[in-house]
Amino acid sequence: MEVRPEIQIRAMIKAMVDVVLPAVDPEQKMAQEQARLVIGTLGLIASRLPVAYRFDRDQLDRYVSLSHELVALDKADGGGQTVSKLESLAERGADVLQRARAEPSELESTVFDLRAEVSSLLQSLHKSSSPEKWNKVNRLILDASKMEIDRERALVVAMGFEPKPGSIPPIESLLPQVNG
Amino acid sequence: MIAVDKNRPSPEWIESLRRRYPCEKEMDRVFTRKLLRRAGPGYSPVSLQTLCDSLQNLLKTQLDAPFEIREPRWLTGGASKIQMAFKLDWSQPGVGRSLTPMVVRMEPAESIVETSRLREYQIIKGVSEILPVPPVFWLDEHGKFFPYPAIVYGFAEGVTKPTSGVANVSGIGLNFGPALRKPLGKQYVEHLAKLHTWDWSKADLSAFDVPALGTQAIEWHLNWWERVWEEDSNFDIPLLRLAALWLRDNMPSIDRISLIHGDYRAGNFLFTEHDQRISAWLDWELGYLGDFHSDVAYTTLPYLSHYAEDGKTLLASGLMPVEEIYEAYEKASGLTINQKTIDYYHIFQAYRSGVIIIATSYRPARNGKTHQDLLLAWIMGLGYSSNGYLRDKLEEVA
Repeated sequence: MEVRPEIQIRAMIKAMVDVVLPAVDPEQKMAQEQARLVIGTLGLIASRLPVAYRFDRDQLDRYVSLSHELVALDKADGGGQTVSKLESLAERGADVLQRARAEPSELESTVFDLRAEVSSLLQSLHKSSSPEKWNKVNRLILDASKMEIDRERALVVAMGFEPKPGSIPPIESLLPQVNG
Repeated sequence: MIAVDKNRPSPEWIESLRRRYPCEKEMDRVFTRKLLRRAGPGYSPVSLQTLCDSLQNLLKTQLDAPFEIREPRWLTGGASKIQMAFKLDWSQPGVGRSLTPMVVRMEPAESIVETSRLREYQIIKGVSEILPVPPVFWLDEHGKFFPYPAIVYGFAEGVTKPTSGVANVSGIGLNFGPALRKPLGKQYVEHLAKLHTWDWSKADLSAFDVPALGTQAIEWHLNWWERVWEEDSNFDIPLLRLAALWLRDNMPSIDRISLIHGDYRAGNFLFTEHDQRISAWLDWELGYLGDFHSDVAYTTLPYLSHYAEDGKTLLASGLMPVEEIYEAYEKASGLTINQKTIDYYHIFQAYRSGVIIIATSYRPARNGKTHQDLLLAWIMGLGYSSNGYLRDKLEEVA
């Protein structure tokens, strides 16, 4: 999937700086100010996006730690009745933290590595395979591609390139369901 | 194995691509130049004044009599090149003192399609014998006068879409409406037939290598697009690799060589609304010598089509049902369409679309190389429906 926010935001900023802002009437002070705020906000989003996930995970880590310490402190002098909800939430937080280990960038780079290696193997197999084996490889790639393309088309259907957009299912229905 | 940073390509990697994917000489020059410049600066806005100054310097080398550049203004349209309209007050050879509307068409730092201005110049000069095209006046092949390579054209009257119509970017999915389809569709097919049956051998096409009959043209062309995929893609797509392998295994042979437009579709011609005439064919930068099936297949791709008002009839390039295009083309050209070869070129064109839309839209936008990075980022969205079509076609032939 190439239509990624990093590229889109960068291109939006460039369009605003190079084209839109110079065309805004200097006498329209509010429009000038709003255009500059749009550029600034987009710049902020672009710079924060790569660390947003790590920021949230770090935040969760700190709150889990704080909660554990508070619960331990309360229990140490015979309390504990009032912190059961916090204790349970801290356990849930620790579980989420345990599952949220990989960085989004790591996820992306691993997908890219796998894509490259699958493609490389494909080219080797094309040279070395019997027709029967190659047919099976072909089938695997076509089936996997269908799943991939169905999701990609659903993701960008609002861009208006589909001749029959009504036939494209919502992206949410094609992705694994998650809690929360 | 060479470690590749495509944003800062090494000379070794560039050489390895040149060896692996031999192309026509001029295209090899263009691709190599692109990679050598890639690590350089992005595109900075060029002012109308800068373009006028560049034009002034170019014209001083071309014109003896006094001239004046008047009324410069930006033109929109297209995702690949920067365009400025102006009027030239000059002594036009054979005409006398004239005020001629013209257009400067200049490359950005890196484009959604990297092509040769010399090829574009030669092809338009050549086909002006047979088709309505804007006159080409001057060429700045290597960006000696302009910030980047450029051509100066005559301004062609007309519109790409009805003034009351709606279309997606770049004319994709353009709806002409029922009244315009028939008159435009007829000319559309006749012009394609004229192009493909034209004897190009007498034209100056020195920037084109002439392929041998057989499979050389398509082989060069596969090298072209596989090389571009390697140069520009951000990640691999096994489906495109599968398609490239299939295309290598099934190259059709040709027994005639036609001049191919390379991007023959709605949005790439102008028409005048008052008389419903196609007034100019544009965007010849992807032209080459090869198999006429290539253009015929391209213009009938479903993702460049839309449904008619009945919701059932798919109109190729928004003009005619596919079967009608085939029939009218055969009648106008006297050439016989081979359906198997059309199938091949449908797969080829969908593969090429994937390369352009997914790989090359990404790379210049990633590096801030164009005047329309945002448009390139938007066009990437079309890549998934073209890949969907590619996959389905590969399944049909598997």
